[in-house]
Amino acid sequence: MSPYARRRATNSIVLTLSMAATIFGLVWLALILWTLLKNGIGAINVDFFVQMTPPPGSQGGVLNAIYGSLIMTLVATVAGSPVGILAGTFLAEYGRGNPIAPVVRFINDILLSAPSIIIGMFVYELMVVRMGHFSAWAGAAALAMIVIPVVVRTTEDMLSLVPGSLREAAFALGTPKWKVIVMVTYRAAIQGMLTGVLLAVARISGETAPLLFTVINNQFWSTNMNAEMANLPYVIFQFALSPYKDWQSLAWGGALLITVAILVLNITARLLANLKSFAR
Amino acid sequence: MSQEASLNPAGTAPPVPTHAVPRKTIVMEPPQTGRSPAPDHGPVATPAAAPAPVEKIAIRNLRFYYKNFEALKGINLTLYDKRVTAFIGPSGCGKSTLLRVLNRIYQLYPEQRATGEIIVDGRNILDPKIDLNLLRAKIGMVFQKPTPFPMSIHDNIAFGIKLYEKLPPSELDARIESALRRAALWEEVKDKLKQSGLSLSGGQQQRLCIARAIAVKPEILLLDEPASALDPISTQHIEELIDELKTDYCIVIVTHNMQQAARSSDYTAFMYLGDLIEFDDTEVIFTHPKNKRTEDYITGRFG
Repeated sequence: MSPYARRRATNSIVLTLSMAATIFGLVWLALILWTLLKNGIGAINVDFFVQMTPPPGSQGGVLNAIYGSLIMTLVATVAGSPVGILAGTFLAEYGRGNPIAPVVRFINDILLSAPSIIIGMFVYELMVVRMGHFSAWAGAAALAMIVIPVVVRTTEDMLSLVPGSLREAAFALGTPKWKVIVMVTYRAAIQGMLTGVLLAVARISGETAPLLFTVINNQFWSTNMNAEMANLPYVIFQFALSPYKDWQSLAWGGALLITVAILVLNITARLLANLKSFAR
Repeated sequence: MSQEASLNPAGTAPPVPTHAVPRKTIVMEPPQTGRSPAPDHGPVATPAAAPAPVEKIAIRNLRFYYKNFEALKGINLTLYDKRVTAFIGPSGCGKSTLLRVLNRIYQLYPEQRATGEIIVDGRNILDPKIDLNLLRAKIGMVFQKPTPFPMSIHDNIAFGIKLYEKLPPSELDARIESALRRAALWEEVKDKLKQSGLSLSGGQQQRLCIARAIAVKPEILLLDEPASALDPISTQHIEELIDELKTDYCIVIVTHNMQQAARSSDYTAFMYLGDLIEFDDTEVIFTHPKNKRTEDYITGRFG
C-alpha cells in the first residue's frame, strides 16, 4: 500500500469513527428531547402557568415553582456575575507575573468541577444551620457559588482573546490601565462575557442538588426570600417520584419547560458569540 | 485656532504647527537636581535657521533584555525634531524593540527591561519616576496592524483627546475633524463618523490610528511598520502623510521596506543583531554606506 493510499484509508477510518461517536452522542440527546416532548407536552396548558402546585388528585400548575426558580436564578446571577467578572478580569489583566493568579485559577477550576451537592451542603452549614430554617436566600447563595466559577472562567477566556495589540494601542495613547480595561478590552469582549453569564444562567436553572439542602420546596405561593420557596427542579424531583398520575404529568411538563428554557438560553448565547465574529 | 489654546498633557503650550520654532522643553515632573545636564537643543539650534536639525531624543548606551536575552547591545543614537528617522535591518535586529523602548510600551511585560538613558527634552524617560501615561501621551505610536478600538470612528479619535482634555462638544468635533483631515481620511469618513471603526478598510483603519495618535498632539510619533499590512495605494497615502506630518513632529519609523526608508526618511539607522551598525543621512546610507554590512543589506545581499 502506498503511503498516500494508507493515508486516505486512515482518514476514512478515523472519519467514520468520529461520525459514529457523534451520532452515538446525539441519539441520546434526541431520545431525551423526544421523550420529554411526548410526555411533557400534554401537561403544558394555561393552568400549567397560572395555577399553584396542587395536592394529589386535583388540577393545578407550577406557577409558584416557575416564580421561585426565576427569582433565585436572578438573584444568584446578579450576585455571582459581578464577582466572577471581577475575578476573571484580575486573572486576565493583572494575573501576568502575579503569583496569586495561578492559585486563583487552580482553585476556580476545582470549584468549576465541584459536585453541586457539595456546594448545597456547604451553604446548608453556612446559612441554613445558622438561620435555623431553609430559605430562598440560601438557595440563591448556593446557585451564586455555581455561577461564580463559570463566569470567572469565561470572562478570563474572553478577555484573553482580545489581541494584546489592542491593549498596547490604548496604552500608547497614555490611557490609565483601568480605562484600557473598561473602555477598550471590555468593549471588545462584551459579547463573549455576556455569553458566559448566559451559560452560567443555563447551568443553574436546572440545578437540583444545591436546592435540596437550602430551600427545599413550598406547596404554596410565596415571595418571601427568607422562607422556603417552590422551585422547578425540586417540584420535578418530588412529583416524578410520586405515585400520582397528575403529579407525574406536571413533572414531565416542568422538565420540558426547563429543558426548552436552557435550550433557548444556550442558543441565545451561541448567537451572541457569533455576533462577535460577525462584527470583526 | 481655538484648539491651540488647550493644554497638552504635559501642561505646557502645545506645539504650534507650521512654524519651525523649537518647542519649549517639556518637563513631565519637576526636574531633578544633581542630574548632569542633558543634551539640550544643541549649539546649532537657532530659531531663525529653520533647516538646522534640533536634537529631540538622545539614546545613550541603551541595553534591552527579554528575560536574559540581550536584544539591544548598547545603542547610542540621536533623533532629531521635525525630521523622519528610519530604522532598518533584518528581522530580529532590534529595530522594533528600540521603538518600543521609546514610549516604554515594553513595560507592559514584566519580563522585559531596559538599561541606559533616553533623554527626551532633558529628561531621562527610563527614570522609574516618569509618569508613563503622560509620557505616552507625548510620544504617540502607530502599530504594524491597524488597531481601531471597538467603537465608532468619532469615538476612536475622541478617546485619546478626552483622556487629558475636557472640551465642549463643538471644539471636540473640530479637533476630530482636523485630526482626520491631517491623516487624509476626512473626505472618506465625514459622512459616517458614527459607524464602527472596524467597518473601515485596512488602509483606512491605519490612517484612523494615525489620526487617533496625532489628535492628542504628541511631539514624537513612533511608527512601527505602519504600511507593511497595506496595499501600495494605501502605503502611498501613509507615506505622503509622513511627509506632511514631519513639519510638526519628530517621527521615527521602523520599516522592512528599503524604498520606503529611502523615500520618506531624512536619517536612517541600520541595525543588525541588536547593534546599531550605521547611522547617517538617508542619502548617504543609501548611496555611500561606510559599513560593509549596511551595503550588503541595502543592496539585498542578505537580510
